[in-house]
Amino acid sequence: MHGMISAAIIGIGLGAQYALLALGFTLIFGILGVVNFAHGGFYVVGGYVAYWVSAALGLPYPVAVLAAVIATAALGYLFELFFIERFVNDQLATMMLTLGLYLVLSTAIVVSFGPESPSFSFPITGSLHGKGFFIPWANLVVLGICVLAIAAVYGLLYRTDLGRALRALADDRAVATALGIRPRLLFPLAFALATALAGLTGALVTPILTLSPHVGDPVLATAFMVVILGGLGSVIGSIVAAFIVGLVESYSSIYLGGSKGALALFVLVLLILAVKPSGLFSREVRQA
Amino acid sequence: MTAAFRYSLLTTVILLPLALGATPARAADCEIKLGMVGPLSGAAASWGIALRSGAEFAAAEVNKAGGLPVESRKCTVSVISYDSKYTADGAAAGANYLASQNVKFIIGPVGSPEATGIKPVAQRNGQITFNTAYAKNAIEPNYPLAFHGLSGPATWAPPLAKAAKEKFGFKSIVCVAPNDQGGTDIASVDAAAYRANGVKASEEYYQRGTTNFAPIIQRILNQNPDAVDTASSPPADGATIAKQLREAGFDGVIGRLGGPGTAETIRAVGSVEKLGNFYWLEIAPVDSPGVKALWKEYQELMGQPAPSNTLVIPGVVSARLVLKAISKAGTTENAEKVAEALRSLAVEDKNLGKGEWTGQKIYGINQELSFPVGMGVIANGKNLGVTMIETATSR
Repeated sequence: MHGMISAAIIGIGLGAQYALLALGFTLIFGILGVVNFAHGGFYVVGGYVAYWVSAALGLPYPVAVLAAVIATAALGYLFELFFIERFVNDQLATMMLTLGLYLVLSTAIVVSFGPESPSFSFPITGSLHGKGFFIPWANLVVLGICVLAIAAVYGLLYRTDLGRALRALADDRAVATALGIRPRLLFPLAFALATALAGLTGALVTPILTLSPHVGDPVLATAFMVVILGGLGSVIGSIVAAFIVGLVESYSSIYLGGSKGALALFVLVLLILAVKPSGLFSREVRQA
Repeated sequence: MTAAFRYSLLTTVILLPLALGATPARAADCEIKLGMVGPLSGAAASWGIALRSGAEFAAAEVNKAGGLPVESRKCTVSVISYDSKYTADGAAAGANYLASQNVKFIIGPVGSPEATGIKPVAQRNGQITFNTAYAKNAIEPNYPLAFHGLSGPATWAPPLAKAAKEKFGFKSIVCVAPNDQGGTDIASVDAAAYRANGVKASEEYYQRGTTNFAPIIQRILNQNPDAVDTASSPPADGATIAKQLREAGFDGVIGRLGGPGTAETIRAVGSVEKLGNFYWLEIAPVDSPGVKALWKEYQELMGQPAPSNTLVIPGVVSARLVLKAISKAGTTENAEKVAEALRSLAVEDKNLGKGEWTGQKIYGINQELSFPVGMGVIANGKNLGVTMIETATSR
């Protein structure tokens, strides 16, 4: 029984991290119709900005996280404005652009910080230990911030005029534009919001796990799997799918082992997609 | 100006360049391109970068001395590297790319998947390789141009497992590694070595690319082991596993009988004190005067410190030996002749001392460079340094 509880706690922790990652990824696809292959790169940049601000500048960790969010948002905004915007309707071109950006970001980090992991730790250490389970305090903090971030994004999308405008663009860009909503103004903002979420995740998660220039590779793969399972473009779907993936990964890895656990996860995802190819919470996405 | 003087002047002008060309060998006479194949990106990047640095240092040594004598010529040495991303296909592509650059001698690749991928391609291309993989088939009789740049797990695991057990007295251990050849070939040998020393050993494998090891850690803790060996997990993975083990409250011994990665582990956990009890394989006795001299020479020649990852050492030693063999064989083109020269060379390095060619017993071919290894120990949060461990010969 203790093992089951422990697996559930680990699974929820994993799910929270995956949800934060997937949220930004699915936002960009849902609103712009762009599959952002640089998402893992923004995660890494967030981690390194937070590391640099806290280690080199000596500023407190919360300031470092804030700096990471601002830096990745600014980078995302500029990248969308100067590169994506021109090819926003060309999925092949945007795919190549975002892939290229990921290579540029990861190489720039190797050149600037070296290939090895720096010493970057979460300021809160220790774990909450119960009967047969444990959960690091850092994971609890990340879980809390994840819940807040999800609530904030949800509130922004469904409770503000900006959110309504973004959703209108996602539903039907031509009609929304005819009604006076300006994609050129809102697309960079949406991209910045999504990359800021990736940066926030990087700043929060890399000190718990590890920070290295290429840690974005598996992050992208996980985010991709989660958003496809949840339904590309669906915010709620991504969040639910993230927790499903986290819990399945946790239970299967603990009870079946790392190899069989990974296999079980992919088989489950395959089965779900076989039954519902458009994902769990698919909707009429993109007309553009 | 007389006719005789004009004739003499003309003769001088014509013959002077020829005469200069006939002077003893100069570095500009030829160029030797050393290839380097290994992971220069991804979780194992620090291994590839260290190996490349070693090859570049060996090349710089030769160039500083005026070039490598090859018959009557003196050759400069350059290094061309290829990022094989720790994959079999990447390493095979690397061999082909280097063949297109007329590179006959390759330092690397690093990992087991890479070694598996490069061997047939390099053999077909007529290229010597010097891999540092810990695969059970790192070298094979079928591929006589493939050499092994360091001792494999079958050589060092038995004495190190014994020494670790004697030091820390653990009775059970879990060996954890990725679930591909780069992990299983090492963790299984480590586990067998522990079992041979009376330690109850089990193996846990994870999907390469895992970033959060919390479920794996829980599975390990469920077995309640006295020690955990991160074996050949990439440095970043091994460091995360150690960090998450300590955060989970595991206060047992952590070991690393596999690829280098101690510095990253210490950085990830936070300090030597927090790491507590830890032991690891050093591919060379790094506290020996010879290795310390190597770091100093590297700093002086390259103008920067050597990478902290010790895979730089086999990079230096392999490259030095290959260059020596090229000089002895008297060819920069014929890899088979150079391979013959390599086999006949006495294994001796100015920094590591005397070694030997081994491998017949394990791989069926005597093409493994073997030098004594080191075992590093951190006990009760204090770094006790690295002691030299003599390995049983595998000849």
